[in-house]
Amino acid sequence: MGQQIVHRLLISFPALLGVLFLCFCLLQVVPADPAMIIAGPDAKAETIAAIRQELGLDRSIPIQFFEYILRVLRGDLGRSIISNRMVSEELAMTIGPTVELMLGAMLIAVPSGLALGTLAAVNRGRLADRVIMACSVAGVSMPVFFIGLILIQYVGFKWALLPFTGRTGPVWDGGLPSLILPALTLGAVLIGPIARLTRTATIPVGTLIGLQAAFLLGGAVGTETMFSWPGVGRLAVGAIVSSDFPTAQGAIMILAIAFLSINLLVDVLYVYLDPRIQRR
Amino acid sequence: MSAEALDTGFAEARDTGVFARAGVLRRLARDRVAALAGLVLTVIVLAALLAPWIAPYDPYFTDLTKVMRPPDAEHWFGTDNTGRDIFSRVIYGTRNTLMLGLVGVIVGGFIGGVLGILAAYYRRLDGWIMRLVDVMLAFPAILIGLAVAAIFGAGLTAVVIALVVATVPDVARVARGAAIGVMGQEFMEAGRAVGVSDGELIWRYLTLNCISTIFVFLTLRFGQIILIGAALGFLGMGAQPPTAELGMMAAQGRDFLFMAPHIATIPSCAIFVIVLAANLLGDAFRDVLDPRLQT
Repeated sequence: MGQQIVHRLLISFPALLGVLFLCFCLLQVVPADPAMIIAGPDAKAETIAAIRQELGLDRSIPIQFFEYILRVLRGDLGRSIISNRMVSEELAMTIGPTVELMLGAMLIAVPSGLALGTLAAVNRGRLADRVIMACSVAGVSMPVFFIGLILIQYVGFKWALLPFTGRTGPVWDGGLPSLILPALTLGAVLIGPIARLTRTATIPVGTLIGLQAAFLLGGAVGTETMFSWPGVGRLAVGAIVSSDFPTAQGAIMILAIAFLSINLLVDVLYVYLDPRIQRR
Repeated sequence: MSAEALDTGFAEARDTGVFARAGVLRRLARDRVAALAGLVLTVIVLAALLAPWIAPYDPYFTDLTKVMRPPDAEHWFGTDNTGRDIFSRVIYGTRNTLMLGLVGVIVGGFIGGVLGILAAYYRRLDGWIMRLVDVMLAFPAILIGLAVAAIFGAGLTAVVIALVVATVPDVARVARGAAIGVMGQEFMEAGRAVGVSDGELIWRYLTLNCISTIFVFLTLRFGQIILIGAALGFLGMGAQPPTAELGMMAAQGRDFLFMAPHIATIPSCAIFVIVLAANLLGDAFRDVLDPRLQT
C-alpha cells in the first residue's frame, strides 16, 4: 500500500510542475515590460537596466522559473496590479468562502445522489428507476448557470425567499441564507452523476466523489461568478478580465493544486478502502 | 502468406466493429428516445449549417425602438437589450457553440486516439504517454480555459484549446484500452510474423479495429464538451461581443434577468436541448454498439 501511495505522489509531481510552469508563463506574458513601468515614462536606459537586474528579469528563463518556484514555496505570489494587495492575502480571504460553497454543495448532492441512485437500483427497470435516470440525464445536460439563473429569478427575485448576491458572513455567523442558493446550484449539477454511478455501483463511493472534483471545481467558478460569491473562482475570472496577471496566476495555481490534492487523497483512500487494488 | 491472406482474420475482427455491423441504424431507430434525439439534433445541426438562409433577421442588427420585447409573432424568441432578434442570434449562437464542441471533440479525439494506440503498440512509449495523460488529467477543463484565456486573451481559440485538452486524456485511455485488447488477437501476431510493416499493422489492423470504441466514446463526451465550452463562454473567456455564442448570450442576459428573463433563459434552454439530445444519442449509440463502455 505504501508503494501505491509513493507511486501516486510520483505521478503528482510532474503535474504539480506543470501547474507551476503554466502559472509562471502567465506572469511572462504581461504585455508591458514591468521594469519600464516601475521606472516611469522618461527614465534613462541605465535605470531600466538596473531595475531589470534587480527584478531578475535579465536572467535566463529556466533560472527565472527556478526563482519563481522558490518564491512560491516561500508563499510570495507577488502583488495584485489592481488592488495593490499581496496576492497571498487576496487568496487567504477567498479560500474560506470557496471551501464553504463546495462543502455546502456536497452536503446537498451526496446524500440525495446516493439516495436516488439506491432507489433506482432497488427498483431497477421499474417506473421509479426510469424517472430517476431520466432526471439524471437531464441534470447532466443542464449548464450550471441555467440552474442558477432559474433559482435567482424565482427563489431570489420573484418570491424573495433567499438572498442571491454576495456572502453575508460565515455560516456560523448568520451567513447560512446567502449560502443556500449558490450551494443548491452547484449541488444540483452533481446529483445526476452521483445517482448514476451509485446505481451501477462499479466503484466505491469515495472515488465517486473524487471523480466529481473536476465538476465541482469548474462549477464553483461559474456559480461564484453568478452569485457574486467572494471565492477563488470569482477572483480568478475577475483578474483575467481585468488583466491582473499576478492575481490570476495565484488563483489558478490554488485551484489546480486543490484539484491535485483532492485526487491524490481520493486515490490513497481508494487503495485503503479497496484492498484488491494493492495486488495489481 | 501476405497481407491479403490476413484479411479474413481482419474481416472477422471487424465484425465486432461499428461500421460493418448490420442493422445499426435500424436498431437505433427502434429506440424511440434515440430516434427523437437524433431527429432533434439533425434539425439543430441543419439550422446551424443553414443559418444565413434560415435566420429571419440579421443577428447583429440593433433596433433601439424594439428593446427587450418578450417573444411574439414578429420576434419568436423576443429581442435583447439592444433590440437584436434573439431567434436569429440563437441560430448563429448554436452554430458557434456546436462548432466549438465539434472541433474540440475531433481534434482532441484524433490526438488522444493516436496517443492511446501508439501507447498500446509500442510498449516502451506506454509509460511516457500515460504519464503525459496523467498530467493533462490534473487540469480541469475550466481551469485550462481560464489559464489559456489569461495568457493569450479571451476568445474562441482559448476555448478550443481548453476543449481539446479536456478531450485528449480520456480518449487516450479508452483508445489504449481498446488497442491493448486488439493487440492480444491472433491476427496481430500473425501479421507481425509474416512481416507486415508497423505502419500497416497500426493503421489497417489496430486503428480500424479500435475506431468504433473511440467513436462511441466521443459521442458520449460530446455533450460534456459543449457544456464546458458554454460555461467558458458564460465566464467571458470565449467569444467576445457582438459575436453570438450561446453561453455568452446567457451571460449578457443575466444583467437584465429581472426586466426581461427571456434574454438569458432562451440561450440557456438552447444549450440544454442540444446537450440533452447529444447525451441521449450517445447513450443509445453505446447501448447498440459498445455496451462495455459504461462510464
